[in-house]
Amino acid sequence: MVRAITKKAQLKIQQMTFMLVAVTFLFILVGVFFLSIKLFNLRKTATILEEENAMLLVSKLANSPEFSCGNSFGSKSNCVDFDKLMVLRERMSEYSEFWGVAKIEVRKVYPDEGNILCNEETYPDCGIIRILDRKVNAGPATSNFVSLCRKEVGEKMIYDKCELARLLVSSEVKG
Amino acid sequence: MIKNKKTRDSARKNQRFLIPPINLLPRNRSTPDSARLSLPLLPRNRSAQEEMVGFVVIVVIVSIALLILLGFLLRSSGKSAVESFEIENFIQSVMQYTTDCEDYTEFLSVQSLITACDEGGTCLNGKDSCEVLNETITGLIEKGWNVNEQSAVRGYKFNIMIEEDEGFLPLLSLQKGNETRNYKGAFQDFAKKGIDYEVSLNIYYD
Repeated sequence: MVRAITKKAQLKIQQMTFMLVAVTFLFILVGVFFLSIKLFNLRKTATILEEENAMLLVSKLANSPEFSCGNSFGSKSNCVDFDKLMVLRERMSEYSEFWGVAKIEVRKVYPDEGNILCNEETYPDCGIIRILDRKVNAGPATSNFVSLCRKEVGEKMIYDKCELARLLVSSEVKG
Repeated sequence: MIKNKKTRDSARKNQRFLIPPINLLPRNRSTPDSARLSLPLLPRNRSAQEEMVGFVVIVVIVSIALLILLGFLLRSSGKSAVESFEIENFIQSVMQYTTDCEDYTEFLSVQSLITACDEGGTCLNGKDSCEVLNETITGLIEKGWNVNEQSAVRGYKFNIMIEEDEGFLPLLSLQKGNETRNYKGAFQDFAKKGIDYEVSLNIYYD
């Protein structure tokens, strides 16, 4: 009789152990699933932050005195002075190390001027202003939208002409 | 003699605690016994009930844990509309773009053209300001974001809203492509002549 009761109790303990193991295993599985989702979100956030940092670098460059419109076109942010760029393009040797980047380029988006490089002859009806192109190992370009503004001489007046452009920056890849 | 006394004592003890004489019932499995059925629940049945209660408790605990998890997941996935720095800059640059619409003093920027369109104005060349606004913004978005089946950008939704007494009313709405779940957006508001305007753009990705 005592032996039978002991056997039954053992069976019960075994049953409970199995149940506890199963429940723990279930919770571990759920935890792993939750953690993998969290990790995926973390990676996504890291990528977004990286992108934002790159965008901020472009914005910082666009708003630097060498590029920005200042007060010449009213108070505009993310505005790049076309005339300044044309002058800067010619004096790039003095600035090659200044921003610590490998490439700086401005591409007109609208109106579309194609791949015509900007120089004294083609200005202002050109599509690409190559400002800096250091002969180093350049990483992928990061870009952001800017207003490309210049003073335009009309029939009756001189007015501000702002177009849509992209400022592209490539960082130097070391090693 | 001693043995007889012992058995008598135990019988008396049993009588005192009123233990039902379960073991004394006849063991007949084929025909149900009325006396056996009228007895309170046997310990075996009670243990089965306990097991069932335990199982239900575990199921309830697991369900609650899963519900909490689901709640967490749904709350985090609700923030699908990501604010985009790039779209924000695009809207800003679009607002500053110089259009072909000229008034007596200057060529209007998109921002000035929005107010001109709201007032029902026309350009010096006789074109309707709203028509120029529509053409310009369509051109800017089409060139700025390469919307097609092959590119990562699958569609866009652009809105210009004006604040009225009844809330925000649309002045211009442009839409192209498919609205996907993966999208980024930004908006910019400005005020002119006491009227509030809101410009928003959503870009839908693959």
